[in-house]
Amino acid sequence: MKYILLMSGTSAGVEAYHAWPKEDIEAHMAVLWRINQDLTESGEFVATQGLAGPREAKVVRGEKNGVPVTDGIFPESKEFLLGYWIVDVPNAERAYAIAGRISAASTNIPIEVRQFATHETKS
Amino acid sequence: MKYILMMNTMRAGHGVPEWPQKDLRTHIAFMMALNKELRESGELVSAEGLSFPEQARLVRAGKNGDPVTDGVFPESKEFLAGYWIVDVDSAERAYAIAAKASAAPGPGGAPLNMPIEVRPIMSGPPPEML
Repeated sequence: MKYILLMSGTSAGVEAYHAWPKEDIEAHMAVLWRINQDLTESGEFVATQGLAGPREAKVVRGEKNGVPVTDGIFPESKEFLLGYWIVDVPNAERAYAIAGRISAASTNIPIEVRQFATHETKS
Repeated sequence: MKYILMMNTMRAGHGVPEWPQKDLRTHIAFMMALNKELRESGELVSAEGLSFPEQARLVRAGKNGDPVTDGVFPESKEFLAGYWIVDVDSAERAYAIAAKASAAPGPGGAPLNMPIEVRPIMSGPPPEML
């Protein structure tokens, strides 16, 4: 069963992170790399990505003539996706355990865990 | 350049399963055709739909490292319903694909014009952090 582990945060949270001492950031990155390595070795790893910050994000809507309408304004308080992991695990508990490890490595920020909609992946 | 196209929806507005069968089928056919088109152009990296928020959990690590799960989400919270990752030549091309997905047919076949968030994907952590 495939699960996605979503890490979200606010602009303020990201700024606070960038202000961490260099060695703390290095230790944080090292733990995340270790988790990815463990998941690769156990065969549970599917994918992981970090996303660019909200300043580089645009919200797009289709118009009647199909021309994209973009909008780059996000409220300061809005939570945005920082990155994600996709794992292939036997059950939800295992996905929660991995999310717990990631959370512990990242100042206990909550990680949203969702299963893939199976009917969509069969296409 | 890789971009992620995120389809966000409000919990209250996720009533897609309650659409008439015919409209749901038209919507799914549109999405499948879009994915096929992107696969043929070599731009599709991946596309996934996610389960509904009832099945979502928020997980934090407890003091001993055990996962602490929480299933309560505020009604107004936006949820990721699904996403596409595309590998395209420019941001404009990513916006054009997002606009196409945005205009997917909804109830009665009318375009939903739902907002799609488009963000570049980082190829890795900044070198100074490795």
